[in-house]
Amino acid sequence: MHLMRYLLRRLVLSVFVVLGVTLLVFVVAQVVPSDPAALYAGPRPTAEQIEAARKVLALDAPLHERFSSFAARMATGEFGVSYKTRRLIADDLSVFLPATLELAVFSTVLALLIGVPAGVLTAAGRGGLLDRLGGLASIAAVAMPTFFLAMLLQAFFAQWLGILPLSGRLSKEFAVLAPLPSVTGFNLVDSLLAGRPAAFFDTLSHLVLPALTLASYPAGVAMRLTRSAMIEILQRRHIVAARALGLSGSRILFGHALPNAIGPALTVVGLSFAYALTGAVLVEIIFAWPGLGRYVSEAILSKDFPVIAAATLVVTLCYVAMNLLIDLAQAIFDPRVTL
Amino acid sequence: MKRRDLLKTAGFAALALGAGMPVLRGRPAIAADGTSIFTLAYPAGFPDLDPATSFSNDGAVLANTYETLTRYIPARDGAEAKVEPLLAESWQASPDGLTWTFRLRPGVKFHDGADLTSQAVKASIERTKKIGGGASFIWAPVETIETPDAATVIMRLKTAQPMDITAAAGFAAWIYSPASTDKDNAWFNAGNSAGTGPYRIESYEPGQRAILTRSESYWGGWSEGAFDKVVFEIIEDVVLAQSKLESGEADWTFGIPYDNLESLKEHPELKVVSNPSFETLVGMYNTRRAPLDNAKVRQALSIAFPYDDVISAGTAGLGARARGIIPPGIWGHDAEAPIPATDLDKARALLAEAGIAEGGLELTLTYATGDALEALAGELWKANLEQLGITLTLQPMAWEAQWQLAKADPAAGQDIFLMYWWPTFVTPYDYLFNLFHSETAPNFNLGYYANPDFDKLIDEANTLSAIDRHAAEVSFKKAQRILIDEAAAVFVVDKPNVHIIRADIKNYADNPAYGHVTFVHELSR
Repeated sequence: MHLMRYLLRRLVLSVFVVLGVTLLVFVVAQVVPSDPAALYAGPRPTAEQIEAARKVLALDAPLHERFSSFAARMATGEFGVSYKTRRLIADDLSVFLPATLELAVFSTVLALLIGVPAGVLTAAGRGGLLDRLGGLASIAAVAMPTFFLAMLLQAFFAQWLGILPLSGRLSKEFAVLAPLPSVTGFNLVDSLLAGRPAAFFDTLSHLVLPALTLASYPAGVAMRLTRSAMIEILQRRHIVAARALGLSGSRILFGHALPNAIGPALTVVGLSFAYALTGAVLVEIIFAWPGLGRYVSEAILSKDFPVIAAATLVVTLCYVAMNLLIDLAQAIFDPRVTL
Repeated sequence: MKRRDLLKTAGFAALALGAGMPVLRGRPAIAADGTSIFTLAYPAGFPDLDPATSFSNDGAVLANTYETLTRYIPARDGAEAKVEPLLAESWQASPDGLTWTFRLRPGVKFHDGADLTSQAVKASIERTKKIGGGASFIWAPVETIETPDAATVIMRLKTAQPMDITAAAGFAAWIYSPASTDKDNAWFNAGNSAGTGPYRIESYEPGQRAILTRSESYWGGWSEGAFDKVVFEIIEDVVLAQSKLESGEADWTFGIPYDNLESLKEHPELKVVSNPSFETLVGMYNTRRAPLDNAKVRQALSIAFPYDDVISAGTAGLGARARGIIPPGIWGHDAEAPIPATDLDKARALLAEAGIAEGGLELTLTYATGDALEALAGELWKANLEQLGITLTLQPMAWEAQWQLAKADPAAGQDIFLMYWWPTFVTPYDYLFNLFHSETAPNFNLGYYANPDFDKLIDEANTLSAIDRHAAEVSFKKAQRILIDEAAAVFVVDKPNVHIIRADIKNYADNPAYGHVTFVHELSR
């Protein structure tokens, strides 16, 4: 009951966030100097074509009418067409969003699997060699520019060792010769649905390098946060009591201390997941990953507002959902946190 | 113990991942099942696959899927430019240039099995005109299309225009199947193709790739070694594109920075093909506003431009100094046009003649953000102008914003507008009309140049080009000399067309009339 009320309250608040963002996007679209009609009319339009586009897009309608039709479109998810490409935005999103989510989820899992245990272990061996190496590694992971790390990984794993692919989501075998049927848009899921383990492993191998690149920053931060939280928790009396009771070291670290210490790491990793949805442009470009970041950055450069608006809305929803998930996860892990 | 176990497990997992995966290394040129693939690393996507409205990179895909009535072959190696038959075997213009009769090639079929008929040609052009998008304006003079028999198309025009060249355009001139002329844009963009070309579209995944597959019944037939599939991999990152080419994962690309070309030339498995393009870089002077309304000031600026430095530093010496606005390879190019060398003293004298006091002049130049050549041209010019006491402010802008600013109000806009131009179909009139013919509201004449004598000269030459191309050429050259004399713009550099291909690809020739298009049917490995 408690949970339901909490969820409902968050949901109502989210509606206001989404409304606010919608209004903001619309206002920005009006203020920024650009001519949607000229954009819509194509790369080299005649004056007549621009006027025709103005009529098609109903750009001469009063402001409030345009806002209400814009808001209605946003609310129904009928995002309309891109000014620049005249393609249906919903169609494009159905390609770019799953690709992005697949990468973001995979890299988030990687970040947690690397960052949190590393944080726990360095806290346990505080001051030791492992701690110092870990400190160095986490600083390197956070400080390394993504594009540089991406190129290093490509050079090492793809070009030198040749054990991982350079770029893309699938090898030619699965993309060109025997295409994977797209059901969910998530290649990991689609390959399993199609019963093709080879395609599954191919997808996985393509995910490793970009996901590792994206995971480096949150993993580094998560490690530092977990470490400092752990050090504090490990001095608490209940840990001392657990030690006195003779519980095993790992049981104390992962079973008793970590749940109290994982909160900050979860928050950071969760937010970096949301950031990765559109913020991973460089990684997407370097690995030729068909992600939302590339899609949106192109739209921003050409002031393609329907695309910007649609993507903003989708990302806002993801942020809201992610924040909620983080809060719930903290409540589940840490018995001290109540909703 | 625990820790070591963890590390060991992770290590084994990584090894297992590496070993278990069917990683494709080396050259996936011929797949295990014998399918031969030509792979193009293309730096941009293909948003519009509708032959009526496509007016962008999509042309690279459509040119392998659809065909035009004719094809333009540029002037090269001393040979004159010409128009070659494609879907039309022959054509003829009436003496007044107002009636054009095309005879169609027999035995041509669309991908859906329908025959190529005069009706299909008529329906294609009429759909393209009716939708009115993209480059459909190339058909503007066409009043009616008659089809006296299945193999004859007669176009009647309102005003004369060289329709043999129009029909060869890289956009909006595609002929498509009768069954597709009532389809909408979405049908084509869903990956349906209805052309007569050697390949048909198999799939298009935005942000990733377009796949074309051989149309077995292609009228041109298939030679041994021709490719079964064409794959356009969309790769924005030039470093990645270069890696793919070096490793053999891709066969063709363009857009690699000029600085990298030297190392690519050394690569034994790659070939760097450089030819003149039809794209020229031009700086449009704001002729409506002081001080650039004074031809002397414009001449001074033009003569202060560091042409040689821009060409050597900006295009690795592959570009050519522009002789007026029409690049070489196009009929109407003026190979004898006077191009003075950079001369700051002469520029200073011209400024003094114009009554410009040294040190007071401030000018703004706008160019497209992210264009390295434009940025460099601006920087080097700025340095030269500084020596003349002129302050040039460089203003990089998104193309859309740059264009909006220039169209809004000539009195409040930029002083110099740096941009590229290439022709929609290959006639000097395309450059001269769009960039310099007077306009009531600015569209692409962004220097706002207005000269009634010039207008009359090029309009008449355009009419003449439908009947007597050599006579028209004389007038077009005369018009270009006017622009050079009055320094209506600074004519910077004719861009080189640089393509990188794998050395084992045979029969590759680029055609600048179709920007960055590769006609894959002609190639083999």
